[in-house]
This record gives sequence, structure tokens and C-alpha cells, in this order.
Amino acid sequence: MNNEEKVNSVDHEPRTNETAPSVAVESVSVEKRQGLFEEQPPPVIEMAPRVLRYRARRDFLLFGAGAMAALAGGGFLLPQDTLSRMGARRDMNSLGKEWFLNRALRIDDDVAEALYSGNRRVPTYTKSQITPLKNNYNGATPDPGYIPGWNLTIDGLDSGLSISLDIQKLMTRFSVQDQITRLVCVEGWSAIAWWAGLRFDDLLRAYPPMSQAKWARVESSVNLDDSGNPDPYFMSIDLATARHPQTLLATHFNGQPLTVDHGAPLRLLVPVKLGLKNVKAITKITYSAEEPRDYWAERGYSRYDGI
Amino acid sequence: MEKSGVLVAKKHHLLVRWSHWLNVPILLGLFLSGISIYWASPIYRHKPDPITGNFDVAADIGVWICAHVPGLHHYRSPPDWIYNHVSLGPGLLALALRLHWLCAYLFMLNGTAYVAGLVVGGGWRSLLPRRTDLFDALRMLRYYLGLPLAKLTSRKWLHPRFNTKYNALQRTAYFSVPVAGFLSVATGWSIHKPMQLYWLAALFGGYNAARVWHFWLMWVYILFVVPHVILVFADGWDTLRSMIVGWSTRVKRSEFTANEQ
Repeated sequence: MNNEEKVNSVDHEPRTNETAPSVAVESVSVEKRQGLFEEQPPPVIEMAPRVLRYRARRDFLLFGAGAMAALAGGGFLLPQDTLSRMGARRDMNSLGKEWFLNRALRIDDDVAEALYSGNRRVPTYTKSQITPLKNNYNGATPDPGYIPGWNLTIDGLDSGLSISLDIQKLMTRFSVQDQITRLVCVEGWSAIAWWAGLRFDDLLRAYPPMSQAKWARVESSVNLDDSGNPDPYFMSIDLATARHPQTLLATHFNGQPLTVDHGAPLRLLVPVKLGLKNVKAITKITYSAEEPRDYWAERGYSRYDGI
Repeated sequence: MEKSGVLVAKKHHLLVRWSHWLNVPILLGLFLSGISIYWASPIYRHKPDPITGNFDVAADIGVWICAHVPGLHHYRSPPDWIYNHVSLGPGLLALALRLHWLCAYLFMLNGTAYVAGLVVGGGWRSLLPRRTDLFDALRMLRYYLGLPLAKLTSRKWLHPRFNTKYNALQRTAYFSVPVAGFLSVATGWSIHKPMQLYWLAALFGGYNAARVWHFWLMWVYILFVVPHVILVFADGWDTLRSMIVGWSTRVKRSEFTANEQ
């Protein structure tokens, strides 16, 4: 700090005005040229007490209104469960809350879609970087009895027909792609795993969807809920993502055919989406022009899930 | 014409004041929803306990609290104690995520308004670190730490002199918090979009490391806010009021210290 300069700037400061103006007058003029980064003394102004009182009152009222608005906003946005825990008796669930939060979620989905690039590949890893991946079936794990008679049905094709493919056909007809990529769960954990399978893009080329199709509905009819009852899992995926060079219909995990835990015999592996889009034991793919329903979107999660 | 005008020093730009207060509900929303998200997959874990199967360090702390804090011995689920008190509540991951994104966008807008206020009002100059800050900050720290004892023993305990808007310790804190805000946003994006923004996650040491960064950055705000609030009240009404109205009537003192030079 340069003392001399400080003294100068103080000297330049006009001595407090004898004539007190009614509103405000800048009394500290910054005539002395100061360095860009040098702190300048705060502008001192003289104000009539009446004006000061008025401004203070106005600002405090605004502040109070803002605090009330924040409180109301919190009450409006927080989930009912949380409010009840905090002692709120009234039911404050409203359609407005859902609408507003969905709206905000859509903005985030739009941002995610804007960030997505079909050419950008996700990082791949070496075999030494592989981490364990447990069975993450949300409900009970299906009985492997479905595997021998398994077929993949594809609907919404350009041909207008519905086709059915068995695993042998899928594995022999298409070239196999190996990749070690990270699977990221909505919960926050992630796992680096080694997958192999056919590219979704190759399937789309071999069996082109109808021309106006923008979406695929990928479902598993063998999915179970917690108590082991059928709970079909269905998920929407935009065709731009399905065509990504690293989006696989995986048949192998760690060099072995998929086990029931990991969705034998065919699962979706889409590293640019959250884990919940990676449907296990796919039984049907349906192409559509309209966005199909989504299992987790109906439970309050994002529908795009691009990461 | 009123004869006796009051001298006031302009302290905080309107945008700085509004964004300062808006941080309170926004950060609160980010904490509550953030801890709910953390709950879904805690980063601090150990080998599962053979009896309870628990692996979450935060659950261990909850169990410890319920065992040692009087009145909590009959708490119904000790492992959840921490989460039940600092998150939205159990089973609300979807809602927590939606609230977290909403608050995160508001936080980014608010941070932009804050920086704009600093630039327009010129306040950014008062926040820049200086070469002498480390030594001066230690002097301030010594002053604060010695103050309670000096008060108790009625000894004289002089406040270190400075002729800038903030003392070195304040400056360090007020500079660090916006930096932490920026890093929170950066780490947040890197774990929100770890594939499209993988370079950003790589900057923080990868996806998992970025999660750890993001978690600890939360503590910067907590560790800042506690002394911040205590010291504002200790400093007095004028300081608190200046963050609402923008001006301070403590002009004499600043002129006095300026003349002292």
C-alpha cells in the first residue's frame, strides 16, 4: 500500500460541505488516478435525515416482503413429507407445485439435450480400472426361466411389420463391439464395467424405424417388483441417443454372456444416460413419433436423463 | 433545507445486497436436497457392520449421537438421525433432485447478479487478496481468539487497525466464498453431466473425486456462515443494516483511520 498516495487522496477530499444539500452530494471525488485494482474509499454522501429515514423504511419493508416471499416459496416448493416433519399440519401439496417443479426439470432436461453431442464419445477405461457392479434390480430378480424362450420384438418399423429376433440371430447377424465404460446411477454411485454387444445404431440400420419416429420405447416384461410380482419396466430413449456409437444392446459382461443379475440375454447399455435408462432383459422395442411413457419419469425423475 | 445532514458511506450495491440475502433460502434448499441426494449413495462408507449391515459413516455418527446425547436414547432410528435432521426426509430422492436442480439454477443466476453488483458498484476491489493479507489475517485471528479472555479479565485488547473496507480476515473470507460458489457450480456440473462434461470432471480428478469436492465445498459455506453471523451481530446494527439499506453511518471512523496514515 502506498502511503503517499493515500495521504494525497485524503488531501483532495473536500472538507465536509458546510451547506447541507437536501438530497445527496458526492463529497469524495476520485480525482486522483488510482490503479485499477486499488481499493477506493467508499463514496461518502450527505443525506437529509428525513430522506435517510424514508429510504431505510422502504428498504426494510422490501426486505421483510422478500423474507415472507422466500418463506412462502419454501412452503410452496418443499415436499409435503418435509413440511409435516417440520410441524406443518396443513396439506400444502398442490398441482402448482408439481407443475412448477416439472417445469424446472424440463429446463434442466433441455439443457442436457443441448449439451449432448452425437459425436462426443464417453471416456473408455482399461481392464485394470474395472470396478465391481452388483445386481441393481430395483425389485426382485426375475427367475431365469424366461431365458430359453426369450425373443426380442421390434415394433414401429418402416416396413409396418412387427419382427421377432432370438439371441442367436442378434449375436450372429451383427458385429460385436467391446467397451469399458462408466455406468452412472441417479443415486450417485458409478461403476466401470466391461461390456460387449451390438450397436443399437446397427439394429436401427438393419431394421429401420418408421420415418417419423423420434423415440424408442424399450421395455422388459420380465421385470418384477419388490414382492416378486410382474412389474413391466418401460423406458423412453430418443433416437439421437440410440444412434450414439457407444449405445449398445449388450450381450456380454466381463467377457461372459450376461447373467440374470445383469439382464440376460440382452440389455441396453447407454453410457450417455443415467443407469436407470439401461433396461435389463429387454423384451420389446417400439419406435414412435411421440415421446413414450417412462417408468421413472412417472415416479418423479427426469425423462431425458442425459449425463 | 435541513441544516444537519447525515454523512453516510455507500457500502453495498443493490445487486450485492439482494443476492446476498437470496443466498440464504437458496443455499438452505441446496443443503437439504443435497443431503437427501447424498443419502441415496453416501461417499463416506466402510465395510458393512457384521451385525447391523451398516456401511454409512453418517449413520454411525447418528448412532453415536443417539447413544450419547441425553434425551435421544429412545430415538426410533438412530442411523437416520443425521438425515432426519438435515435433509428433506427419507425416500425423497426424485424430489430432492428436482429441488436441487431448481436451486442450483437459481444459485447460478444469483451468483451472476452478485458478481454484476460487485463490478457495477466497484466493490470487487475491496475483496481482492493482498500480499499482506496472510500476516494481517493472523493478527485478526489472534484478536478474535484473545477477545473473550480479555473481556473476562477486563484487559485492554486493541482491535488491529486497518484503513480498508474489510480487514484481512474478512477479505479472505469474502473472497473465498464466491470462489467456493464457483467451484460448487463447476463440480456440480461435472457430476451432473459427467459424460458430456467429462473434461470438467477430469479437472477435479474424475467423477468420484468431483463428488467428494462437491461435498466438502458445502462445508466452506457452513464454516463461513457461523462466524459470519456471530461477528455481524458483534459488530453491531450499522453493519447488519448496511446489508439491507446499502449505506453505513460509520463515516467518522473511516475518515479517522484514513487521516491516521
